[in-house]
Amino acid sequence: MRAPLLVPALLRFPGSAARQDSWGRLLKVTAGGAELSTAARLAKGDVLQLQFELGGERMALPARVHHAYDDDDGQRVAELRWSDMVERRRLARALVGLLSRA
Amino acid sequence: MAAIGVLAKEAADRELLGLMLGELGHRVEGAARLEEAVEFARERKPAGFLIVDGAGADGESLTRELLRAFPLLPVVAALKVRDANRAVALMRVGACEVVAPPWTPEDLKASVSKGLRFQGTALSVAAAAPLSRSPLWYVLSVALFLAAGLGAASLKRAERNRAAAAARTDRWELPVRHPAGLAFDGKSLWLIEWFTQSFYALSPADTAVQLVRHLTAETPVAAAFTSEAMWTVSADGTVIRRMRDDKMTPLTRYPRAAPNSAGIAFDGLYLWALDGRARVLRKHLVDRELSVLATYPWRGLKAAGLLFDGASLWTLDAADRRLMRHALDRPQDVIAAVPLPEYAEGAYVPVGAAWDGARFWTVGEAKDGKGPARLVRHKEEPR
Repeated sequence: MRAPLLVPALLRFPGSAARQDSWGRLLKVTAGGAELSTAARLAKGDVLQLQFELGGERMALPARVHHAYDDDDGQRVAELRWSDMVERRRLARALVGLLSRA
Repeated sequence: MAAIGVLAKEAADRELLGLMLGELGHRVEGAARLEEAVEFARERKPAGFLIVDGAGADGESLTRELLRAFPLLPVVAALKVRDANRAVALMRVGACEVVAPPWTPEDLKASVSKGLRFQGTALSVAAAAPLSRSPLWYVLSVALFLAAGLGAASLKRAERNRAAAAARTDRWELPVRHPAGLAFDGKSLWLIEWFTQSFYALSPADTAVQLVRHLTAETPVAAAFTSEAMWTVSADGTVIRRMRDDKMTPLTRYPRAAPNSAGIAFDGLYLWALDGRARVLRKHLVDRELSVLATYPWRGLKAAGLLFDGASLWTLDAADRRLMRHALDRPQDVIAAVPLPEYAEGAYVPVGAAWDGARFWTVGEAKDGKGPARLVRHKEEPR
């Protein structure tokens, strides 16, 4: 299933990272992770928190960058893996609810 | 290339964005007000719209109104002031891309071309499939498989070599005379020299100098690294959090937060500082004031360095020529000690220590202060 719009996401980094908040669009969301398009220069191993809304529910999921590369437009595409099991289960429930209503 | 509308209240913004988009090959039409933009969109049917948010223009309502009239029109927003929450709010009302200031042709090109090929997020409960790999990845995989298949003989030989290397102590003479500390950033060793107010990044493989940075405004005495920030301490006790870029750009200063510093270390949550004069270890919360959470007595004779090895704190005692291990929950106790026989002759005094994930490194200053400093990679300690 594809959403009519790309889900926007706020990117927050741990204080020790000394990085400004940034933003991006979720190209893909699953219970295991997400694919994100962003102008932020993410690199493999980076830790961040992703905040977005899904089906009216606010999500704030800690994640780690598993793989990242520049796309043809020069933006960064990052494959993220969720690192918090509790939040991950909450996202899975939201996805099941959303997809069952579609 | 496609026609693009630019909706910006200020003429200077329209002109700048028009020039940049023109350079990218787009035909551009500027509009100062929403009515003009709607008129242009109705008549010319542009491929997309670029809206400037800020300086009196509410990009959120402009985007909403434009999309109300033309629901399938890709809208890209350009922020006058960088604000991640604002960017997300604009995307929520329908902007497909948001460009951060300062606007550059590269950013505009990426955002506009992506906006013109706009699609929705793919939703799935199943875990993400791995991204498609390049042919190089498959070639490397096969090469790795073959390498692994070479057999136990080569593995055994490598293990023998590794054991021999682990038992060996290496020494290098350095091109500096007055080292003040040592730190490891995950790739390089960082030597701090107070006399020339310099940082030297050294390769752990051969101690080749990879980078030199001079600080003219302060005298550095210690440093520590987190995954993305560098912390330094000056002789007056000022702690500075810096970006890990080539310029070591300072981000935050904490005046006199770590007086008489013999070393600092970051344990992943707290910043620790060893006060050589007061002989105490201080645990700092990384907040606006770098508040001291607790102070613990340090039971050594002459404090010379502090490091974190991923599990425990280690302090360097220059008088006893040994490294002392401290548990994070009871740092006042010494739970183990590693002697440094390399300094037994007394020609060198250890002044800094670092941990590279496998071994300790120390740097020593010639006792008379005239000879070159010496870097020592110590033998691997059983863990």
